[in-house]
Amino acid sequence: MTVTDTGIVTVSASGLTLRHGGTAVLDDVSLRLEEGITGLLGPNGAGKTSLLRVLATAVPADRGVFTALGHDPGTAPGRLALRRTLGYLPQNPGFHPDFTAFAFVDYVAILKELTDRAARHREVRRVLEEVGLGDVRGKRIKRLSGGMRQRVALAAALVGDPRLLVLDEPTAGLDPEQRMRFRDLITRAGQGRTVLLSTHQTEDVAMLCHRVIVLARGRVRFEGTPAELTARAAGRVWSSPERDPGARAGWRTATGAFRNVGDPPEGADLLEPTLEDGYLLTLDGAEATAR
Amino acid sequence: MAALLRPVWHALPWRPQAVAGGLGWLLVAGARPLSGRDGDTALGLTLLRLAALAAGVGLAFLLDDPARRTTEAVPVRRPVRAGLRLALVTPLLAAWWTAALLLLPAAARPPLGAVSLEAAAIAGTALALAAASVRLRAEPCPGTGAARALLALTAAVLLLPDRRSPLVPPDDAHWAAAHGWWAAILAVAALVWAVCVPEPLTGHRLLAGRPVRSLCGTSGPSRTS
Repeated sequence: MTVTDTGIVTVSASGLTLRHGGTAVLDDVSLRLEEGITGLLGPNGAGKTSLLRVLATAVPADRGVFTALGHDPGTAPGRLALRRTLGYLPQNPGFHPDFTAFAFVDYVAILKELTDRAARHREVRRVLEEVGLGDVRGKRIKRLSGGMRQRVALAAALVGDPRLLVLDEPTAGLDPEQRMRFRDLITRAGQGRTVLLSTHQTEDVAMLCHRVIVLARGRVRFEGTPAELTARAAGRVWSSPERDPGARAGWRTATGAFRNVGDPPEGADLLEPTLEDGYLLTLDGAEATAR
Repeated sequence: MAALLRPVWHALPWRPQAVAGGLGWLLVAGARPLSGRDGDTALGLTLLRLAALAAGVGLAFLLDDPARRTTEAVPVRRPVRAGLRLALVTPLLAAWWTAALLLLPAAARPPLGAVSLEAAAIAGTALALAAASVRLRAEPCPGTGAARALLALTAAVLLLPDRRSPLVPPDDAHWAAAHGWWAAILAVAALVWAVCVPEPLTGHRLLAGRPVRSLCGTSGPSRTS
């Protein structure tokens, strides 16, 4: 692992390429992750899930290499070693509906090679308490709400105290209260771990992440801190009574005025940029490159 | 491994196996008066083949795993998990088949070794189709598709001309040769299983799995974005 000026690099990928049919869903992706929470932003079809599946060793890349926590998943022993210290929450986690929350997380714990029964059960109870499901651990999964199921999946990812957590849109489909609760869980999970968090929600990234990667059309378009992404929109967000035809994007706000991002006209009423503005401008740049 | 036995047993899709097994027994037992004491081995053979097909349809669901995606990046490897599923159902399947044979009047029983080879080949084909579907289509629950494919293959075999069909009666001159084909089918099915069950280490597209597909069973919250 390399130490940089910002932290310890725990995951390093170079030239990752993955094709489905004739389409490159990942196109020469290089990145590095450090301890803490890194957000992965991108529109639908950007390749976020494919990248997460590659990094979680669920699917191998066609080309490129990566190392995680000092292990090379391109070899069978390396992949096994990485999986022993990996937690993965997929985009649409599935469950055995007749299992209880406890039995399901216990099953995953066995699959993670936690063989000592008493210690494993303690660990399962610990993670279920951590995600706030201690009281319903004996309830069948089919009787749990969607948000509770998502927390069961997070508990399954957390069991065994993994050092690398790969979370694919964990807050999608949750109501605002559940989302806030999940953010709290992820913040706690990010302490002392490397967490890669894929999301559509720029608020998630602004609130949780110390670094952010923007992926579009299978390529990394930005890698840096949320503040750096926000700074991309400095001086490029303005308000106007009508949608500015010169804006890259614009939308009516609650006040009735339009918020525009792009290249402002002279004398425009400039606004404070947000992470979302920086993200939109980054995506717009990616689209322009593709055109 | 011992710790996995209970949850894997609990996770197995028993309903399709039970329905298929029950249907197979009903076919054999229900036709018992027809096959009767005259010793109609051709009818007995047909009934056992239908029972084997029913069991094959049930077995096509063996790899159905709604939690496949949630458990795809764990240290215990796919072949171990798939092998454990197979190991758990094999004794039950053997007992079921023995019972099916016993349900048929002795005089109506075809050569047991040969018809058991046919049943094993059908079961192997069902499992191979399910394993191929998991690998090539990243299906969490390949059962329905594999069962359909098995029935389609059966229909295709029925359309073969008599001299090429492996479905020959015991008194046919091609009986031995046909069972050479059944053995070959079983061997190919075992090979497909062996190729499709392990995890790909490198990006061979044909075997590496495609984008994740629709779920079965219970999943997380519905997506709003």
